[in-house]
Amino acid sequence: MLLSLLGLGLLFTVTGFATRRYHETQKTLAEQWYARGEAELKAGRPQAAIDDFETALLYAQSNTFYRLRLAQALLAAGRIEEARAHLLSLREQEPENGLVNLELGRLAVRQGKLSDALRDYHRAIYGIWENEPEDTRRQARLELCQFLLEHGDRAEAESELIALAADLPEDAEAHVQAGGLFFETKDYNRALTQFHQALGLERSQEAALAGAGEASFQMARYEEAKEYFERAVKENPADAHVARLLEMTNLVLGIDPFDHRISARERVRRVVRAFDEAVVRLEQCAQSHGDLLETSQPQTLIESVYARIQKLRSGVRARTLERNPDLIAQVMDVVVEAETVASSSCGAPQGLDQAILLAAQRHSGTQ
Amino acid sequence: MSPPPKTLPDGSQAIGDLQSVIDNTRARIRAWPALAREWLRSLRRLLAMREENLFLVLAVVIGLFSGLLVVGFRIAIDWTHWRLLGSALFPSGWRVLTVPVLGGLAVAFLVIRLFPSVRGSGVNQTKAAVYIYEGYIPFSTVVGKFITCALAIGSGQSLGPEDPSLQIGAGVASALGRALRLSRDKIRLIAPVGAAAGLAAAFNAPISAVLFVMEEVIGNWSAGVLGAIVLSAISGVVVMRGFLGDQPLFRIPVFRLVHPSELLAYAVLGIIGGLSSLAFVKFVGHFRPRLQALPRWTNYLQPAAAGLGIGIIGLGFPQVMGAGYEVVDQAMHGQYVWQMLAALAAFKILATGLSFVSGTPGGMFAPTLFIGAMIGGAVGGVEHHFFPRLTGSVGAYALVGMGTLFAGFLRAPMTSVFMVLEVSGNYSIIVPVMVSNTIAYLISWRYQRTGFFDMVSRQEGLDLPSMEEQREQSPLRVEEAMQPPPEPVLDGDETAWGALERINSSTAEYLLVSLPNGEWSAVTKEGLRRQAKEGRGGLPLRSVVAGTRLPRLHPDQPLYVALRQIGDRPFLPVVHRADFHRLQGVVSLSDILTAYRAAFETRRPLDPDLEPESREAPP
Repeated sequence: MLLSLLGLGLLFTVTGFATRRYHETQKTLAEQWYARGEAELKAGRPQAAIDDFETALLYAQSNTFYRLRLAQALLAAGRIEEARAHLLSLREQEPENGLVNLELGRLAVRQGKLSDALRDYHRAIYGIWENEPEDTRRQARLELCQFLLEHGDRAEAESELIALAADLPEDAEAHVQAGGLFFETKDYNRALTQFHQALGLERSQEAALAGAGEASFQMARYEEAKEYFERAVKENPADAHVARLLEMTNLVLGIDPFDHRISARERVRRVVRAFDEAVVRLEQCAQSHGDLLETSQPQTLIESVYARIQKLRSGVRARTLERNPDLIAQVMDVVVEAETVASSSCGAPQGLDQAILLAAQRHSGTQ
Repeated sequence: MSPPPKTLPDGSQAIGDLQSVIDNTRARIRAWPALAREWLRSLRRLLAMREENLFLVLAVVIGLFSGLLVVGFRIAIDWTHWRLLGSALFPSGWRVLTVPVLGGLAVAFLVIRLFPSVRGSGVNQTKAAVYIYEGYIPFSTVVGKFITCALAIGSGQSLGPEDPSLQIGAGVASALGRALRLSRDKIRLIAPVGAAAGLAAAFNAPISAVLFVMEEVIGNWSAGVLGAIVLSAISGVVVMRGFLGDQPLFRIPVFRLVHPSELLAYAVLGIIGGLSSLAFVKFVGHFRPRLQALPRWTNYLQPAAAGLGIGIIGLGFPQVMGAGYEVVDQAMHGQYVWQMLAALAAFKILATGLSFVSGTPGGMFAPTLFIGAMIGGAVGGVEHHFFPRLTGSVGAYALVGMGTLFAGFLRAPMTSVFMVLEVSGNYSIIVPVMVSNTIAYLISWRYQRTGFFDMVSRQEGLDLPSMEEQREQSPLRVEEAMQPPPEPVLDGDETAWGALERINSSTAEYLLVSLPNGEWSAVTKEGLRRQAKEGRGGLPLRSVVAGTRLPRLHPDQPLYVALRQIGDRPFLPVVHRADFHRLQGVVSLSDILTAYRAAFETRRPLDPDLEPESREAPP
């Protein structure tokens, strides 16, 4: 019995030594194969990386990071179902793992599974992150918002954005990103708030200026928009989009006859200009459309609008309008009607025609 | 606390204290031999404990030894694999082709020249040790099994490490039993104890190991053996987990029965699993005796030829090489399409069949689980393709498939159910497993009455007791030999005179006496007359027959119980189990023999393989 116990002790020692060497070798092999996999993945050879990561996992079966990288390599190689199987298995092991859930969410996006994506993104947002949890959660929510917007789920996206906005760091870029997404949901007010906050942190942030300008523009706050656009153009004169918007803003501000800050003469001048522009636009449209403008019995919408224009035409003169200001509203109604009919029949308005419509829309609630 | 030593200005008192300390120390040193003797006496008392208790302690020690050896065995297999086939998941082509061939040559040389007793999986060899060699397994078998199996499995032969671990455990136990000079009975029992430890450590599943050894090796559920087996299995698993970690052999997928109708899908798995088991057994059963009948020199080449076959398969499907646990893991996590899974199952049957029939030592557990997982995955994949809303994950089918093939091929139905339950840790899987396993088992049993292990042992010329056949046998019962109760039956309270008057017209010479408390005795007519003549006719019969009691039988008891108890008595009473006074019949020695003779004459052969004349002769 004593000999047996001694033998047992000896066997324990030998096995312990062998096991230590064995584990060391396994660890080394796992690290080597993992490094090879990373190199292959970096070199754009996901197929080779998959084999390497699988081999690494052979020696470190419970290493969740290796398995995650394997899943990512499988995704890169387009082997979606296998990647999904690995990710699901990882989630079985670590249901709260934020990165795993985020990858599953992205996979669901790729597969167009909306409800799965939403669920997985939420799990990712509320999951556990080892590195920079706040940033990664925010990033996950931003991805989710973008995904929702791409799929036209504006209401869901907006609610996510409101949650995101409440948690943004003191970072202009983050506010600009959030503002951009609010803009996409057509929540211009919140978008403008985000751009304002970005500008509060970084006064001359070009994207924030452009965003604030656009948000103001969409809310028909053209004076504010002009200010932001001018600053944005100053920051980046090469930005053609902002330059175009600035030009349009100037046109709107220059044609708006209902601006209470302008004189009566100026108002009349703008009405006459708008009327002339609308007439030209309608005539061109009718010509391209084949409508007969000089007809006693108008058949089409263009013809009937043109008939009304003809009735008003004699009165649309500076002196007449100055004497009879009530006519201004009547004339502008016809102008808007002509521009609208032309738009629906002959395509979106450009330049001054668009500006006339925007100016009219700006005051449509108050008129 | 002792008071601080008083010190005089001249220091004399301090010297006196020092002297007393020295004296005390000397006295203690002188007492050491006596203490040592006392300690040795205690140790001897411990060692001289009753053999039953020593057996339980020894079971733990065996478990520790077995666990350590199995850890070493697994490390040896992996080291061999890394050295010979490299560390890549799928080795390069030239290694796949050459290593199994060279490994096969080396294994054949070792088996033929040095370790001739290590052929086969290890299960039958352990059974042979228990039933034929009185628990004796030479230690060279342990060494040989360790080396040859590590080399075979490590070089890519399609075999597993579990059955060899079982034999290694049994061998260690046998060696320890002999070293400790246990009695012959205990030595015979100790090999299964080690077998359970070895299997538990290799499979990381103590419950399955205990069940398998009980179900397949010893077929005995007595408390003493069960306790020792459980203790050794637990010790083995604890050691294994302590050294290699407690992660399972494969990651278990989440199981959920999507809809009760999904059980039909599992029934289909059972049918396919049963037929596949059948194909696998038939393959081995057909080719093994033919290869064994070839000239002896071919034994040197057969494992190498099998290695070449496996290498050729391995060029297209390297997953079939070795034990393949990692592939089982991948299959359970949906990493193969069903076509690939089906191909892997077919090629694994071929590769494992080649390895086994060539005489390469190695186990069948891992290949069985591999094939089962692949078949399960393939069936699950097809069913998922056609009924995506009615079926669960492919991994769940792979998991159930492992148990299905285990039931169908290894024919251990209880173990197969508990194995899946143990490795999955999910009780909701039990119904699909039972459905699938039962169907596979019944199909396999219907078309191949002799199980795999029994078939192999008979091909080797060993007539080991078949646990499965024992389970299938319906023993003759007392009721089949029982005759109607004889008249009259005397009452213990009546007097000898009364009894004589009552039996006056009866021809019976031997009469049963019903006693209070449900006991039975008997008297002869002659004995009653003698009592009356001697003036004791007024005494109640119970005092006349005091001291003679007949054993009672019940109708459902096996007939051999009656045979053991009847002795030279003319017959024994058969009584109701709930009312011992109620005599249901009697059974005599001639009734017993008649029943046995009738059973022998009317018994139809269950399986031609069971009949002595049709068994294949040993090579």
